[in-house]
Amino acid sequence: MEDILYSVRDLNVRYATRSGDVHAVDDVSLDIRRGEILGLVGESGCGKSTFGKAIMRMIRTPGRIDSGELWFDGADLMTYSGRQMQSVRGGEIGMVFQDPMTSLNPVQRVSEHLTETIRTHEPKVSELAATARAEELVEKLGIRRERLDDYPHQLSGGMRQRVMISLALALRAKLVIADEPTTSLDVIVEAKFLDLLRELRDEFDLTILMITHNIGVVAEVADRVAVMYAGRMAEIGDVYGVFAEPKHPYTVGLLNSVPNIDLDAHDLYKMEGAPPNLLSPPSGCPFHPRCPKAMDICAVEIPVLHEVVPGQATACWLYDEVGVAGG
Amino acid sequence: MALQTPTSHEQEWREDLRKVGFVRRLLAGRRWYGTDWWLVAISAVMVLGFITLALFPSVFAPYSPDEQAGPRFLAPGASPDLPVLVSLATSGITELADLAVPTGEPRPSVGVVRGVPTAQALNDRAQELNQELNGTGMELRPRIARFDSLDELLRAVDDGTVVAAVVQSTEFEQLAGDFPTVGEGMSIAGGVSSEGGFILGTNQIGQDVFSRLIWGTRIALLIGFSASIIALVVGVPLGLLAGFTGGMLDRILSVIMDSLYAFPGLILAISITAVLGPSVLNVIVAIAVLYIPTYYRIVRGQTLSVKEELYIEAARSIGARSSEILRKYIYPNVIPSVAIIFSVNVADAILTGAGLSFLGLGLPPDTADWGIDLARGQGFIQNAWWLITFPGFAIMLVVLAFTMMGEGLMEIFNPKLRQR
Repeated sequence: MEDILYSVRDLNVRYATRSGDVHAVDDVSLDIRRGEILGLVGESGCGKSTFGKAIMRMIRTPGRIDSGELWFDGADLMTYSGRQMQSVRGGEIGMVFQDPMTSLNPVQRVSEHLTETIRTHEPKVSELAATARAEELVEKLGIRRERLDDYPHQLSGGMRQRVMISLALALRAKLVIADEPTTSLDVIVEAKFLDLLRELRDEFDLTILMITHNIGVVAEVADRVAVMYAGRMAEIGDVYGVFAEPKHPYTVGLLNSVPNIDLDAHDLYKMEGAPPNLLSPPSGCPFHPRCPKAMDICAVEIPVLHEVVPGQATACWLYDEVGVAGG
Repeated sequence: MALQTPTSHEQEWREDLRKVGFVRRLLAGRRWYGTDWWLVAISAVMVLGFITLALFPSVFAPYSPDEQAGPRFLAPGASPDLPVLVSLATSGITELADLAVPTGEPRPSVGVVRGVPTAQALNDRAQELNQELNGTGMELRPRIARFDSLDELLRAVDDGTVVAAVVQSTEFEQLAGDFPTVGEGMSIAGGVSSEGGFILGTNQIGQDVFSRLIWGTRIALLIGFSASIIALVVGVPLGLLAGFTGGMLDRILSVIMDSLYAFPGLILAISITAVLGPSVLNVIVAIAVLYIPTYYRIVRGQTLSVKEELYIEAARSIGARSSEILRKYIYPNVIPSVAIIFSVNVADAILTGAGLSFLGLGLPPDTADWGIDLARGQGFIQNAWWLITFPGFAIMLVVLAFTMMGEGLMEIFNPKLRQR
């Protein structure tokens, strides 16, 4: 059995709106293994960012975690008080946000960001010691220590993203949730950043949940990939397995939609339809209205996520017989 | 190697960027984004000047504001029209006391012009001095000789017919050139100098308009600053709290603030001072109440928008407490706009304060205040224009200085606001 760092069981997140509850995360279960980079992909609005926030219990009103269990390193986070969660955030689980341009406080120097993070969680550390640690940390991330005195607007996007990472690493967080960390970076900086992530994973024994809509990024760094659709987990498995032999029709479509230089413009696959309205999701499998292989049962019952080949699970009726036969 | 050493120009530029601060922004503002930095410079000098006046009025004001320093209604720069003693320059007589003689000796004759109240003044003053001399063996009882015209009188002084004469100083000065031997002595109107020196004239009770103006700076700035500071100290935390927590508290506070804001300002201030009674403190409180909603609204709005910034969420993700987020993340990002409002607000508060005292509300009636001076002076506008002109100018200048500084600072700190 693998060493599980974070285990999510039947998580439900809803947003209350005027026209009813939006079911942003619907019965999602996911295990994050210690030391892996797990890619979480899906279209915009499929609930992947909400999922990332829910893991840190950072859902704010009008949203709420409806039900589910969050087991982090053997502890049930759902039973934690607000104060306890604050020490988990930053201390145990760090987060890197999509837009490095706006995720740092414009009126604080970089050094203050770091020392504040350290001293919030470890009040006994002196200002001087915290600064020393901050310097050591940013140098490891390839930022000169002089730049610590700069304000965020004086740094480039890549540097800011590295600062964000260093914030997560300042307290040796075990799990880093990276919410589309490379979206606003150019490809060269992106490549460097991904290299850095891998190095850090090895050096600090990090576990990274990489939330992205960029399939290429996942293929580049992730060990496993989870595909979300309309708030539900569609497929999860080893990166090589999923990308070589996607099982869920949605994953197939998603992979086909990735532009490829070998294709002519009109060859680019465009998935039919649009993601469902989460206010009133379709009955049964949420993907069935767009699914080229939809069957009668798809519109009636929700498929359960189950392993169809070793190391690869999918929620699709297509493989039910296979699953039953195999199991 | 060439690649690694940045050009001197680039180095310079980096150096510049590192040091960039308030002063540099002021100075470089024009080059960077074409602000009218001189507006700020001029207004800053004016503001500093007014603050200096307010802090040390006694250094700049020649008289105390309540002192009756000269005759009434003296025009700016004019010499007061006082009865003065004149005599031969060689006689050594400069004041009335010099005319005292031992009892029994012939009384000195002093000339006056018929029909001019100088004779009465001379009599009154001589009797006063005589009382003081009682018992010293000296007496001061000048014999009054009356002449038909000033010219005649001065000729009499010149040829020694009278020892001295008492004349109106202004009239004497017109003829002084014709009688080089006759010198002007002291005024006989006890204590009051016959010198000029009221550069802005005197008011209806003989107080120096200039001195009152300078002392008025103190009360104007006191009201302006204190009211704005109180409003800031109350309004900013309320705005932060309402914007940050939202919900019911926000609703209630906003309704209260909006209703305060909707109420006509001066009327609200009038009613508050009317209830509280006249004192400087009450005026400050009334004006502060008036401006609390301004700060509240601005800060609340800014807080609402800053609250949604990603760095707030990022702060939460590193485990920052709400109080920390409010203090270290939201407050510093909100406060620059408050600083700008503050400057404009001081100007506004001074104006309101002057308005209140003009209406006779708030300040005790003997205070040296521009509004009170305006109110008192308006009755005499037809023959004493200086009574209302100078306090009016003072109010205008102070308000202009603070407003200009606020606007200029706003432009420098928030160049985006500038419309091109």
